[in-house]
Amino acid sequence: MDALGLPSAPAAGGIAGVDREPFELFLIHEGRLLDEREFEAWMELFTEDGLYWVPSTSGEPDPYNQASLFFDDRQLMKTRIERLRHPRIHIQTPPSRTNHMVSNVVVEEADEKAGTYLVSSSMMMGEFRLDVQRIFIGRQFHRLVREGDSFRIALKRVNLINCDTAFEAMAVPI
Amino acid sequence: MFDGTPDEISKLIEPGRVHRRVYTDEDIFELEMERIFNRAWMFAGHTSQIPNIGDYITTDIGRQPIIFIRHKDGSPQVLLNRCAHRGPKLCNDPCGNARALTCLYHGWSYDTDGSLIDVAMPEGSAPHFDKKDFGLAKAARMGEYRGFIFVSFAEKGASFDEFLGPMKANIDDLVDRAPEGAISLDAGIHRYFFRGNWKLQVENVLDSYHVPFSHASTVNKKGEQFSRREGDKEGAQVIDEKKGKKESTSDVWKGRRSYVVDFGHGWTSNTELKEGERSSPAYDAYKEALAAKVGHERMEEILAPEFHNSLLYPNCSIMGLNMHVRVIRPVTTDLTEVTVYPVKLVGAPDEMNAANIRLLNVTHSAASFVQTDDLEAFRRTQVGLQSVQSDWIDLSRGMGEEQADSHYNATSESAMHEMAIRAQYQAWLYYMCEAA
Ligand SMILES: [Fe+2]
Repeated sequence: MDALGLPSAPAAGGIAGVDREPFELFLIHEGRLLDEREFEAWMELFTEDGLYWVPSTSGEPDPYNQASLFFDDRQLMKTRIERLRHPRIHIQTPPSRTNHMVSNVVVEEADEKAGTYLVSSSMMMGEFRLDVQRIFIGRQFHRLVREGDSFRIALKRVNLINCDTAFEAMAVPI
Repeated sequence: MFDGTPDEISKLIEPGRVHRRVYTDEDIFELEMERIFNRAWMFAGHTSQIPNIGDYITTDIGRQPIIFIRHKDGSPQVLLNRCAHRGPKLCNDPCGNARALTCLYHGWSYDTDGSLIDVAMPEGSAPHFDKKDFGLAKAARMGEYRGFIFVSFAEKGASFDEFLGPMKANIDDLVDRAPEGAISLDAGIHRYFFRGNWKLQVENVLDSYHVPFSHASTVNKKGEQFSRREGDKEGAQVIDEKKGKKESTSDVWKGRRSYVVDFGHGWTSNTELKEGERSSPAYDAYKEALAAKVGHERMEEILAPEFHNSLLYPNCSIMGLNMHVRVIRPVTTDLTEVTVYPVKLVGAPDEMNAANIRLLNVTHSAASFVQTDDLEAFRRTQVGLQSVQSDWIDLSRGMGEEQADSHYNATSESAMHEMAIRAQYQAWLYYMCEAA
């Protein structure tokens, strides 16, 4: 278990008999909002106390004790997005084009009564800006809360396979 | 042909301007590695990174791979990460603990101080082979101040004490904030690179002139930057909303000073924030912990910040505002890697250290709000400097306005000027010509 309550080694295969489709559709939707630069709508997917975490160490258990690439609560997300909208954000002049891909979706935990789920998936984000194309790839974990027909994100953790490399500057959430 | 004679080198630096080749020329870059990075005192690590005997980290100083390791007798050692036999990099992990260091290739093994313990099949060694001659190479000189370890690869040159000089106050300013009077660099690292010359990052550390323009995207409608310290409601007033023009640098920001001392070092003065209003549960608990150790009066003194950002030329910066130690590593003429170590204050409540770590993600990670716009400026500068129609870059702001400062034993000027960068090029000339 990490400091945010994610299991460190979820059982392979996850839970059988839970329909993956609604989760898959939700994750596709989430990535697409980022690709279409609908950052505010992306933020609204998170619960009010939702957290977005991209560790910079492999297997990192604690964002409160170690440096992270991203570790945003809603307030930081809001500041981040206001900056992304600023006409003079130089690192996005011109803006990046990105494409998120999601696959290998596994429902790791499901509490149908409470409407809470833990979903893991493989992710890839291709990014292109100023003649440079790069790929971010890893496995992500979403702790989701059912809300009506859809979900909200209580926690999103992305484990990039190259989390501890030296990165060129980045601006778009992964 | 460029031979690197003092005569050729001094032609590249004129009063208030620097030749573009200083950033773009491969011959000059090679000379810099030889004459600056292999001679000056360079930050190698902090003792908190290797608390126990056998603990090590591997890193690079300039282009040289090193092992920073705690020897059996407790002393920190800076060893070149290269087997004395045929040359492979000895330790491949970023960090670890070892009783001995064994080369993957032919199995030679070394003690934690670099002395050769064992060679495989010693019966085949040449008649005069002596293990004493085959220890790991070490930095020629090492110096420590409050856990900061610096090395010089040159036997001769300024002593560590001379090098550090008045910069001790900058280290004290940071370390004294810890209730236990010690910091710890064990909270992970941020690593980023940019396609530009290393000096662009070094210059930027003490460049306050760029902030209202480069970092416009971090400033709200009232002209205040987002809060960068635990307990602050908002950050510095960078832009003056009253002046009506969005790009007007605020008087508060304009009032900041920069300071230089010998060897290219320098710092900028504190950023004015609402110190009296700084409060949060984590910050208040921290203040209490500090006062319990040093007394209320001294606590107030320590928490009245003096320094925003400090530079120990050429490879180390210490930031007091968003507490971190930054190490600059040139890779090629137009590629630079930077490592940022968050600072933990030993004895501070966990939630205070957590807040510092969290805010540093926001200001100095590869995905941060502040650093990324600087990185874009460095990248674009490197592109711009490829043009040859104009050979000079201008650094003349505030020339002739330098003043002696007796309090710090330094030279001071408005931080909106370029004195600090000019001082870096005086140090650059000193290293490049002295070693010629
Ligand atoms: Fe900057």
